Amino acid sequence: MPIELTDIARLAQILERSGVDAIEIEEPGQSLKLVVDTGPRMAASPTLVAPAADHSVIAKADVAGHFLAAHPWRDKPFVAPGQHIQAGAIVGLAKIGLLYAPIVAPAAGTVDAVIAEPGATVGYGTPIVRIRPLSESSPIN
Amino acid sequence: MIEILSVTGPASVQDLGRFDQYRFGVGTSGAMDDVALRAGNILLGNDENAAGIEIPMLPFKLRFDRDMAFALTGGDVEAEIAGRVIPPWWRSHARAGDVLTIRALPRGARSYLAVGGGIDVPAVLGSRSTQFRGEFGGLHGRPLQPGDILPCAASTAAIGELGIEPAEITLARPNAAADETIVRAVIAGEYDRFDAATQALFWSGSWKITPQSNRYGYRLQGPPVKPKAPIEKRSHGIVPGVIQIPPNGQPIIQMRDAQTSGGYPKIATVIRADLWRVGQARLGGKLRFEQTAYADALAAEAEMSAYLERLRTNVRLIEEIRTCR
Repeated sequence: MPIELTDIARLAQILERSGVDAIEIEEPGQSLKLVVDTGPRMAASPTLVAPAADHSVIAKADVAGHFLAAHPWRDKPFVAPGQHIQAGAIVGLAKIGLLYAPIVAPAAGTVDAVIAEPGATVGYGTPIVRIRPLSESSPIN
Repeated sequence: MIEILSVTGPASVQDLGRFDQYRFGVGTSGAMDDVALRAGNILLGNDENAAGIEIPMLPFKLRFDRDMAFALTGGDVEAEIAGRVIPPWWRSHARAGDVLTIRALPRGARSYLAVGGGIDVPAVLGSRSTQFRGEFGGLHGRPLQPGDILPCAASTAAIGELGIEPAEITLARPNAAADETIVRAVIAGEYDRFDAATQALFWSGSWKITPQSNRYGYRLQGPPVKPKAPIEKRSHGIVPGVIQIPPNGQPIIQMRDAQTSGGYPKIATVIRADLWRVGQARLGGKLRFEQTAYADALAAEAEMSAYLERLRTNVRLIEEIRTCR
């Protein structure tokens, strides 16, 4: 059965939606290879564009774990919206096994929002806290 | 080096203890909460027997005279280094001249400060622990004073901040109410010399920890526990954890600086895996004993060892992950 042009269009849509970069189909007498051009899609990624647009910086997790907004012995979370913090301040913890890895502010500023939900699974680079930096400072990461 | 700037109460240098001299009548000394001292040393990559500072009362303040990694474990403290707040059970890094301030102890009875490489006072009879009774070990065999300079062994390389789960959370006991510590105990030599009603009174009692409680022992207050007939015994060997009943019927738990022998009848012994919980029980708080079989005491010890082993593996793992980046 020959591959129709509509089949190729449909396959391309599936690839795009599922985030798969390439597919190869081989049948007797014919072969088809579809490769998705990922360049433009990366550039359009909202997480990369948003910070540049509003000048906020993001404190990110640097290990995989569960996000803790407060130490289990404390009621008060490390930071709350509106709070002024220094560069390097602890804004939360990523719990991995028995370890509490600190999540730190990359720049001094004002806490805009705690993005991550307490208890949520976070990974390397997951945005945790959005910070409006002081104008004169620059991010340290 | 570390300079003590201010100190409240008998803070002292302690490692895990002095274990080879017991037969000569030299007590063990050592950290009242040995799990906390081990955890601090694990965080820093130290030998787990490295000496740290046991801090029973606050405020406490010291200055680091060079860049140094340190860890705070034990009771929950409100602590700051150079203006940065330090969360509980945490390792951090001080720069030369930084002042560490520990203000309050809202939970637990003792805080432990471990430093990279350990506090390098001379080992006496195989240990760096301060022996209050004999006035040796630690720094000049006495509690720390303002102006004291503590030598530190070679510091490890700069390491990032990291916290660990406090033992009290991982090893939490069921039915523990706020301000009441429940510790497991096995029956001891003279248990049968108390009648059933008195034994029941001992186990059901919520014992008040009196102000006469310290590194030597904890004196408890409650309904008198008295044997069927007065017991006269010659002094014999005892160990930390032994619960004695003096003639007034008010129990004494022997702790790290206890004598190695005593003559009071022994009703029970706190199991080794729970001795750190006694060390973190606050003056004025309540203590309850839970009768435990020997096999369960061993199981509790295995559980404590498993917690420490997980800490070692977890800390090693995250160092490897961070090195790879």
